[in-house]
Amino acid sequence: MPVWIGVTVFLVFLMLFPLWSIFRASLWDESGFSLGRYLEVFTNPVFLKAIWNTVVISFWVGVISVVIGALLAWLVTRTDLPWKKPIRALVMASFVTPPFLGAFAWTLLAGPNAGALNKLYRFITGSEDALFNVFTMPGLIFVMALYSFPYVFSMVANVCELISSDLEDAAEILGANKWQTAWTVTMPLALPALIGGFILAFLHSLSLFGAPAILGLPAGIHTITTQIWALFQYPPRLDIAAAFSVPLLLATMVLIAVQKKILGRRGFSTVGGKGGQKRLIRFGWARVPVLLLVLGILSLSVFLPYWILLKAALSSAWAMPLTWDNFTLKNFSFAFFEYGDTQRAIYNTFKLGILTATIGTLVATLIAYITNRNLFRGARYLTFFALAPLVIPGIVLAVGLFIAYTRPPLVLYGTIWILFVAYLTKEMPIGFSQAESTFKSIHPELEDASRIIGANRLLSLKDVTVPLARSGLIAAWSFIFIGVIRELSASILLFAPASKVVSVVIFDLKEEGQVGVISVLGILLLAASFAVILAVQWFAGRDVVATRE
Amino acid sequence: MATVSLHGLTKKFTGMAAVDDLRLEIKDGEFVSLLGPSGCGKTTTLRLVAGFLQPDAGEIRVNDKIISSASTLIPPERRNMSMIFQSYAIWPHMTVFQNVAYGLKFKKLSRQEADQKVVKLLRVVHLENLKDRYPGELSGGQQQRVALARALVVEPHILLLDEPLSNLDANLREEMRFEIRRLHEEFGITTIYVTHDQAEAMVTSDRIVVLNKGRMVQVGTPSEIFDQPRTRFVAEFIGKTNILSGQLQDGNAVSLATDLQIRVAQGPHSTASGEKFVCIRPHNFLLTADESEARALASKGFNLFSGVLERRIYFGDSVDYTVTLALPPVSLRVVTPPSRQFDKGQRVFALAHPEQCVLVSND
Repeated sequence: MPVWIGVTVFLVFLMLFPLWSIFRASLWDESGFSLGRYLEVFTNPVFLKAIWNTVVISFWVGVISVVIGALLAWLVTRTDLPWKKPIRALVMASFVTPPFLGAFAWTLLAGPNAGALNKLYRFITGSEDALFNVFTMPGLIFVMALYSFPYVFSMVANVCELISSDLEDAAEILGANKWQTAWTVTMPLALPALIGGFILAFLHSLSLFGAPAILGLPAGIHTITTQIWALFQYPPRLDIAAAFSVPLLLATMVLIAVQKKILGRRGFSTVGGKGGQKRLIRFGWARVPVLLLVLGILSLSVFLPYWILLKAALSSAWAMPLTWDNFTLKNFSFAFFEYGDTQRAIYNTFKLGILTATIGTLVATLIAYITNRNLFRGARYLTFFALAPLVIPGIVLAVGLFIAYTRPPLVLYGTIWILFVAYLTKEMPIGFSQAESTFKSIHPELEDASRIIGANRLLSLKDVTVPLARSGLIAAWSFIFIGVIRELSASILLFAPASKVVSVVIFDLKEEGQVGVISVLGILLLAASFAVILAVQWFAGRDVVATRE
Repeated sequence: MATVSLHGLTKKFTGMAAVDDLRLEIKDGEFVSLLGPSGCGKTTTLRLVAGFLQPDAGEIRVNDKIISSASTLIPPERRNMSMIFQSYAIWPHMTVFQNVAYGLKFKKLSRQEADQKVVKLLRVVHLENLKDRYPGELSGGQQQRVALARALVVEPHILLLDEPLSNLDANLREEMRFEIRRLHEEFGITTIYVTHDQAEAMVTSDRIVVLNKGRMVQVGTPSEIFDQPRTRFVAEFIGKTNILSGQLQDGNAVSLATDLQIRVAQGPHSTASGEKFVCIRPHNFLLTADESEARALASKGFNLFSGVLERRIYFGDSVDYTVTLALPPVSLRVVTPPSRQFDKGQRVFALAHPEQCVLVSND
């Protein structure tokens, strides 16, 4: 019993304390209660401009993500397109790639002067101009969409797999032609997923910090997140940052509520039982062109960025062709052995990754177990707390934690522990929903059988349930780990010189133009992520890509 | 009003014939079942009739007009048919009312007429109170009724049903069998019904087509199929049966062992001699322990088997016995009413009238 209560209190405290701190800092100061800070946020044209930019960017990111994500999902699930598994793996790779790294790679690809694609364009046409400039609003939207569309993809792919061909056949035999069927049956069934996917992509881009900071700030484009970051620079205006966080928080809450409502009653629950089969649409001769189109899209998010990172990591002058003269390993030796900052950051990142993943999985497992087996009255309300961080953008969470833990009774700022708390909070929903769905699939009677012959609850959990849940929990661990090592938007406000992590160092080195070292660190992050995914697939013998919620 | 005829209908998947040279004439208003084990080609046949598949050879005619052949294919939406799917295929984003009303959108009807038809049909299937529910909020049986109403409301010329009851539990399945037959009698639509459940086919159909490995094995009324199976496959697939092998002696005598000869009904296989199979249904035996009674019946022409009662299972409305014969060393399954009961180990006599001993081929 004490274990359950302890975990519950810990979770509630973890979620409520930073949020409470934000509201307190935005409403009260030494002189008492005041709404002045909100007034300033909503009248100052600089802030209003940032809000407007954020809305415009997120809207277009949502639209483009829906177009790309829905197209790829439909192609992969409902047609006879070849190479479906590799395509899914590449979508997964886009998902795993930290958006700030993608944004950085795109500065090398489509920067106006030295960008590789622009140089290629000049070489082919002999022109003096740049074809692309990624440091613009469209450039920023384009890059952010490349790393947001996997959200739409996974939602739409799930739904397409649920819609059986029978549903369409039923309309045809009653007299509907192909267009009427598509319009009255297929589209309405997919619509909740399209809208839900749009909202997810919108929310994702709303909360991004790295990409807009790397691509937007040089062009003077501020978003809400970069503006909050700017408020933390000297002289810090924490109270304004807190007040500015609240609209972001509210917008996220409203959108999540809307999404839940859309996916509500009618939903896309499958009706009826077995027998629902899918027939694939045949492309015939068009298979190859369609495949090339798909690979073309994925080369924008995966092949080109990875290639330029690899090239930059291996050359002395990244913009030059990769010849023997230009080839070097000094970026690697510099990052791993010579430069103290990167060494410490790598150590911190992996330490935090392993620590957060392990403790996070443990806490998520216990919470999921409590809610699933309803161990005490009101236990199911814990779900709400465990999922609450979904509505808190990383940078808002960081503002709350910063305010909460820089003053007594708990001073964590300056240590890696404030980062640990931030990561634990931020990754709780993913760990929890993984653990939840795992426990749902394990019948309580299996555990009852162990208890009736003498094992207590905790022992039954350890000996029966956890071994059965093993692969689900390993997946939860890996999701948290990957989420932590790529985290930037909360880290950027919470790090101290001794507690820098890799993502922060990449962001800092960007200012110094250390392209080669950044690329090395980026490759390290990607390699670690993919290694974890492959290890999980190998150990747990299941497709992590498919179970992502 | 429609007749359907299949002429040499053939469909191949990756070289294997799923449906092989099917020939069948279905009369107007007739209810025909396609019955067979999974993989026998029955669903493929139905989808060929619906127009979701195109035949590789042969043709399908409705009222003597070709609707499917290797060269022509009228699309499903122009065939005036309705279909009920195994998965029901109820659209989860539409209410019960909207589901049922959908097909009427493609008929030239005023809104009011259409609504009236929908309401009337919902009443027929007892769903009038649930018309504003979404399918996710209905039970399996209710979803099934929505599927029925949706298919019937358009007044199709031909109704196709693809294992519509296989997702229901046993009680509901029995109820829905009668419901389907009731609706057929009410509307008189030409119906093709696909199932692997012989009881379903018996209850609902005017005629049954037994399929195996893509080929038609036997066509007939339920009682013809049950009482006069033509092949061992039909006999064993439909109902419980005893199959005894022996040598055909003359026109209607088969010797099972040196001193056991039985008389069989005249049938299509009674001509050529050689090894033959005799089908006797378990409930067609008379069972007695009284030797004089047995001899008396045997002298009236009944076939007599004597043996030892090996096993006895009481079902309440019947008793299922296993009788082991001395020669040939085989076990007979005998089902009797519970009025006369026998004990394990007892010496008993099983008698069967020659009319109920049917010669079947070994297919």
